[in-house]
Formats: sequence, C-alpha cells, structure tokens
Amino acid sequence: KEKLLVLAVLISFAGYSLSEEENVARLLASKNVLNQYLVEGRDLTVQYTIFNIGGSAALDVNLKEESFPEQDFEVVKGNLNVKWERIAPGTNVSHVVVLRPLQFGYFNFTAAEVSYKPSENAASAVVGFTSAPGEGGIVGSKDFDRKFSPHVLDWLVFAIMTLPSLTIPFLLFYRSKSRYDTPKPKKN
Amino acid sequence: MEFAGKMISLVVLLVVPFVVLGDSCLSPEVKAETYTTTEAIVSTETVFIVQFTLTCKNKVRDMNLYADINGRTLPVTKTDKPDLYQVSISDDHKKLSSGKYEVRLYDEEGYSMLRKAQRSGESVDSVKPVTSITFNHPGVSKGPFVQSEFVAVVIAVLVWYFAYSTRSQLQSSN
Repeated sequence: KEKLLVLAVLISFAGYSLSEEENVARLLASKNVLNQYLVEGRDLTVQYTIFNIGGSAALDVNLKEESFPEQDFEVVKGNLNVKWERIAPGTNVSHVVVLRPLQFGYFNFTAAEVSYKPSENAASAVVGFTSAPGEGGIVGSKDFDRKFSPHVLDWLVFAIMTLPSLTIPFLLFYRSKSRYDTPKPKKN
Repeated sequence: MEFAGKMISLVVLLVVPFVVLGDSCLSPEVKAETYTTTEAIVSTETVFIVQFTLTCKNKVRDMNLYADINGRTLPVTKTDKPDLYQVSISDDHKKLSSGKYEVRLYDEEGYSMLRKAQRSGESVDSVKPVTSITFNHPGVSKGPFVQSEFVAVVIAVLVWYFAYSTRSQLQSSN
C-alpha cells in the first residue's frame, strides 16, 4: 500500500512538472533539524535545501530565517539571512546554520521565508516558505547529562565511600596476621 | 590630430586591461572561520560550515563564487553582510571522517574552466582557484570508549576476587 502511495505522489509530481512552463523557475524549499536530541546548551543543526523544479534559472534568491529569537537561541556558526544570485533549473542549493538553545522546553520550529524572481523579466519577486519541522522538545542540560554523561566523578566518589568498609577490615586482618604469624616449624 | 589619435589609443590600451580584469579578484585576502560537528550523539549528520570574508585589492564585491570541497562543487552562499560568504556541506558521519579538508574557491571564469576540465576528464588541479581555505575536522565523538559503569563493575569484581582468593588461601593453609 505504501508503494502505491509513493507511486501516486511521484506521478502527480511528474505530471505537475511536465505541465510547468518551460521558461519559469519554481523553487521548493525544505528546512530540517539534523538533531537526534535537542539539548539546552548543545549544538542544534538546521539545514535548508532549495530545489529548482522549474524550467529556467531562479534569480536573486533570498532566504530569510527569523523564527529563532535571539534570547532563546545563540548562533554558533552560519548566517540567517543569505542569498544566491541564481539557481539553475534542475539543481539545488543547501545551507546550514548551527544554533545553541539557551532555554529548555517546547519550541515550535516554523518556516523560513524564501523569495526569488522566477524569470529575467519578472515584475516582482515570488515569496514562499520552507517546510516547517514542527514542534520539538528541548531537553534541559541537567536531564541530558543525567542520562548520557559518563558520571566518572560520581563513580570516583562512590569508590572513595566504599573504601572504609573494605580497608578497615583488611587493616585489622593484616595487623593481626603480621603479629601472630609464626614462622613454619623447621623440618628436622 | 595624429597626436590625439595616439592619446586615445593609449588611454584605451590602459583602460582595457581593467575592464577585462574588472570581474576577477586581484590579490585576494581571505579570513575564514569554520565549524565541524563534534558530537554524534546529538547530531544525525556531520556538517561543515566555512564562513569567510574575501576582500580584493580592486574592491570587487558581491562576487559569484563556487567552492570545490571534498570532491563536491557547489555555489557559495552570499550573506547580507558585504564580503561575507558561507559554504556548507552535510553528510553521514562516516562519509565526512576526521582529517584535513581543503575548500577551493573559484570565480565565474574559474568555474566554467573547472566544469570544462571535469567534463573532458582532465585534471582539476590545472584550474587555478581564486584562493583556498584549509581546515581540520577533529572527528565526531560517539561517547566514551568504555562505559564508566563497565569499569566500575570490573574493578569491583577484581577486588572481590582478590579477597576471595586470599580467604581460600588462608583457609586451605589452616
């Protein structure tokens, strides 16, 4: 059944692109969060991919990401406002931004804005949106560490705490052993 | 009249080189900041982000650049800040292993020559890039090599074994 659905999507997609005019650009943009876990204080990787499924190059393509408020997300690397001069038909471009969440809790990842000129002599730019990843839960750093960090310090403390119950009997035994240990009798 | 003609041709000769070279970058200066993924537990793919400023002596701005990195050729992303560009790639952790990587930057001319060389199967090294950036990817960490719980259990077993063997030694000697 799944195969039928995929086939139906592909046919409608192909039919749509065949019906497309040959000299107009059309962009599809996706926004993905490349994270298995969203953790406060750890890197959050956002990837944008823009495909040109039209018949001619898209000009003056702008990607504007404004959905990450500065007090909640810190930019580690990358730019949130970028552009490409042209995207050739049938090609795609990709862009990555790395952020760091400063708060934990639920966050709704919404779409970024894409604008472009579909042809050389287009009157105005076309404005569209990327896909939206949806709502995600950002885990607090303490909770994440509790589950994933190696806890080396905790184990060391535990080892130190068990030392008295091991060393005191051992010292007692050793002291009495060395005091009362008689040498083996000589064989005549 | 002849002198004027000579002056005109001289001026034209002086101007033409600048017109021809107007688009290419003279003595490029590049400053780059790179980011590579370090934690595999949190991220599903490895990404490289190379953010750089490229300034030319002949003040060429807003250039259309193309980058060649790890065998991939892609257009360079322009930002809203002048002279600031970004190159980003992403792939599986296994495909972007640790090591040194080089990003070669080409302008429009260089890019068309590069494509020509790629199509005819010639060596790509013959096309000279505007500039190139090298960076090091230290690799992703998948967590500690050995679980600390495992180490704790091993040590506990060793301590118990020592105690048990000493005890059985004492008992057998009595």
